Amino acid sequence: MALLQISEPGMSTAPHQHRLAAGIDLGTTNSLVASVRSGDATTLADDKGEHLLPSVVRYFDNGAILVGQQAQAALTDDLQNTIASAKRLLGRGVADVKTFNGVLPYEFVKSDSNVPLIRTVAGDKSPIEVSSEILKTLKARAENTLGGDLKGVVITVPAYFDDAQRQATKDAARLADLTVYRLLNEPTAAAVAYGLDQEEALDEKIIAVYDLGGGTFDISILRLNRGVFEVLATGGDSALGGDDFDHAIAEWILQQLGETSADQQTLRKIMVEARRVKEVLSDKEEVNVSVKGFEVSFSRDQFCQLVEPLVKKTLFACRRALRDAALEKEDVMDVVMVGGSTRMPIIRERVEAFFEQPPHVDIDPDKVVAVGAAIQADLLAGNKPDSEMLLLDVIPLSLGLETYGGLVEKIIARNTTIPIAKAQEFTTFKDNQNAMTIHVLQGERETVEENRSLAKFTLRGIPTMVAGAARIKVTFQVDADGLLNVSAEEQLTGVKSAIEVKPSYGLSDNQIETMITDSMTNAKVDMEARKLREQQVEADRTLEALDSAMANDGDDLLSEDEKKTLSEARANLVAIKASGTTEAIETAIKAMETAAAFYVARRMDGNIRTAMAGKDINKFKD
Amino acid sequence: MSLNFKQNYFELFSLPVQFPLDKRLLAHNFRALQSQHHPDRFAHGTDQERRIAVQTTGYINEANEELKSPRLRARYLLILQQVDFELCDTTHDMLFLMHQMETREALEVAEQADNALEQVDQIAQQVKHGVASIENSFQQHLQAGNLSEAKDAVLKMRFYERLNDEAKRLQEKLEDEMFA
Repeated sequence: MALLQISEPGMSTAPHQHRLAAGIDLGTTNSLVASVRSGDATTLADDKGEHLLPSVVRYFDNGAILVGQQAQAALTDDLQNTIASAKRLLGRGVADVKTFNGVLPYEFVKSDSNVPLIRTVAGDKSPIEVSSEILKTLKARAENTLGGDLKGVVITVPAYFDDAQRQATKDAARLADLTVYRLLNEPTAAAVAYGLDQEEALDEKIIAVYDLGGGTFDISILRLNRGVFEVLATGGDSALGGDDFDHAIAEWILQQLGETSADQQTLRKIMVEARRVKEVLSDKEEVNVSVKGFEVSFSRDQFCQLVEPLVKKTLFACRRALRDAALEKEDVMDVVMVGGSTRMPIIRERVEAFFEQPPHVDIDPDKVVAVGAAIQADLLAGNKPDSEMLLLDVIPLSLGLETYGGLVEKIIARNTTIPIAKAQEFTTFKDNQNAMTIHVLQGERETVEENRSLAKFTLRGIPTMVAGAARIKVTFQVDADGLLNVSAEEQLTGVKSAIEVKPSYGLSDNQIETMITDSMTNAKVDMEARKLREQQVEADRTLEALDSAMANDGDDLLSEDEKKTLSEARANLVAIKASGTTEAIETAIKAMETAAAFYVARRMDGNIRTAMAGKDINKFKD
Repeated sequence: MSLNFKQNYFELFSLPVQFPLDKRLLAHNFRALQSQHHPDRFAHGTDQERRIAVQTTGYINEANEELKSPRLRARYLLILQQVDFELCDTTHDMLFLMHQMETREALEVAEQADNALEQVDQIAQQVKHGVASIENSFQQHLQAGNLSEAKDAVLKMRFYERLNDEAKRLQEKLEDEMFA
């Protein structure tokens, strides 16, 4: 029985338990882990005092694995077994990876699933496995520093990540034995880190987050209103980042060397030099380039000209995101800079000119995302019960289906707030068509080839009908992490088929436990169904209680007539439970309880007599 | 606290059942409902609580999307008045359809022009005016109780929506080509 609990107003009844939680920025170039300690969110350092963990994993033939700095040191010596930039491969299929040929020095192997594997001395590794090694290292670092097991983490992903890439990130976390509270868009995390939600001055403000990382570019337009962050629009390019600025310099160096191609070892050296050159130019106007005894001077102006197309590309994405949000540049009240590449003066200057205001650059652009993730993780762990902060995310790319003629019909438009479920009806286009292939696509283009194929499945058993008579309802359901479920149902007959979208790019099904599969096709219907199921369970419970009571003392306490009355009430409930509505079952349960009331009373009397038998009456006075 | 799924979308956000929309009030009440029901509020809840939270916020988001879009809001107002929409429903206003085709052709021509982006921007602006006038006529028909005319206006909005998508797609394509 519940007792009344008395406590101070506003105090929780149990002593507050702090749950250990962390935010992880799983980056293309570097990864970080941060946590809130004594109210402050800070990134955590390794035992050498380093905060940034290079996202590099090296495999050895004896099964040993090195992650981070030590692995990175081997990049030029053992490049076939040293995997960098695995994030670029996460959630990509074999066909996508082909476009990286020549850019990445790895030997790719086909697997049974569509996941490209990288051949190493320790066996073939998927990008998911490589990423999980980075996560394991960060997990260990956090648990050592915080002194306990992590209850959960928030992992950040580029806002532009599609479904397959998000799923792959979650799979990597599962392999690293991490509980993911939430995947969080990197720019949203950055806005949280700046505490822009803490400023009370205005009713509502618009924030642009310009995030140029190592391998991705994101622009996000957020709206903040009393602690609620709403992503109004996101845009960007999942294959544009600081690395491309390095590549531009590297290509220039190759040209200066008079070579059109070079062996991978040389390429790697040129790349390392290109990065150094870029970083020096952030502080200086001129730098000496030096590769293989070749020396040449390179100025910031030359650099700016070289990367102009890349910079322009990012600014056009800004324009597009504003248009998606139905806003003008003048509406933007804060601009936040994220990602190491925003240290480049040319980026800061051009972004300031575009938005006509100086951007926020106070927090280390490499750490800002991890810090924001830590704040959100702390919140989701329940350590801040009074916080009003809520992050509402949108889906970054439209989701649709292939229709007749290789065209794509969009079901959920990009920048729709998630979670969401949307349904659309389709029909057959041939007489007596018994099956229909559902091809799920993600992207903004009109034709199938130009979009990313996420999954294909077939709805079978459509009854024989003339063309156009069948009604096939296809439902897309996206959860709070942006992960998709698709189901199809023929409306007249109820033939169903469903899929969780991940088989093309994720791990095989038996490696992954099922995510939320319950349908939210139609919330109303489903809620009714749930109530009905719960009432049926309640009926079972009542029936079991009666059966066990009668087995116990029915013969002692009941006459034959009374037994007959009860078993009739019982039969009535069994029948209604099987076919009745929620309300009918509820009524039948009540009816049976009423019919059995005398028996319950008699049993209680019996119990009290048993309980009191043989006890000193004085004992009850205390 | 569970949500009453029997309310219509307008009631859900405490808005009057009408076509003109107070966007600020919708945004405000939308956020208030999300704050209460979002799955993040149940990160440590039971499976059932989290499932219900996903369903509830899904429903809130769906309602919000439906009301934010003038076409879907118009369509929903008619559905509330028992007007049926079939898969194959379309407008038979030949003059309107001709005009739509002309605008589509104009977009195709504009794409090839020297100042393509500028021309496409201009057509997009015209489409915006067209949308405004069709919304206006919907409102008048609805108020007058001419449901079948109001339905025709909704079907026409769909054509404008597709034109708008096409213009937007072209704008993006032309922008992309500027650095190809």
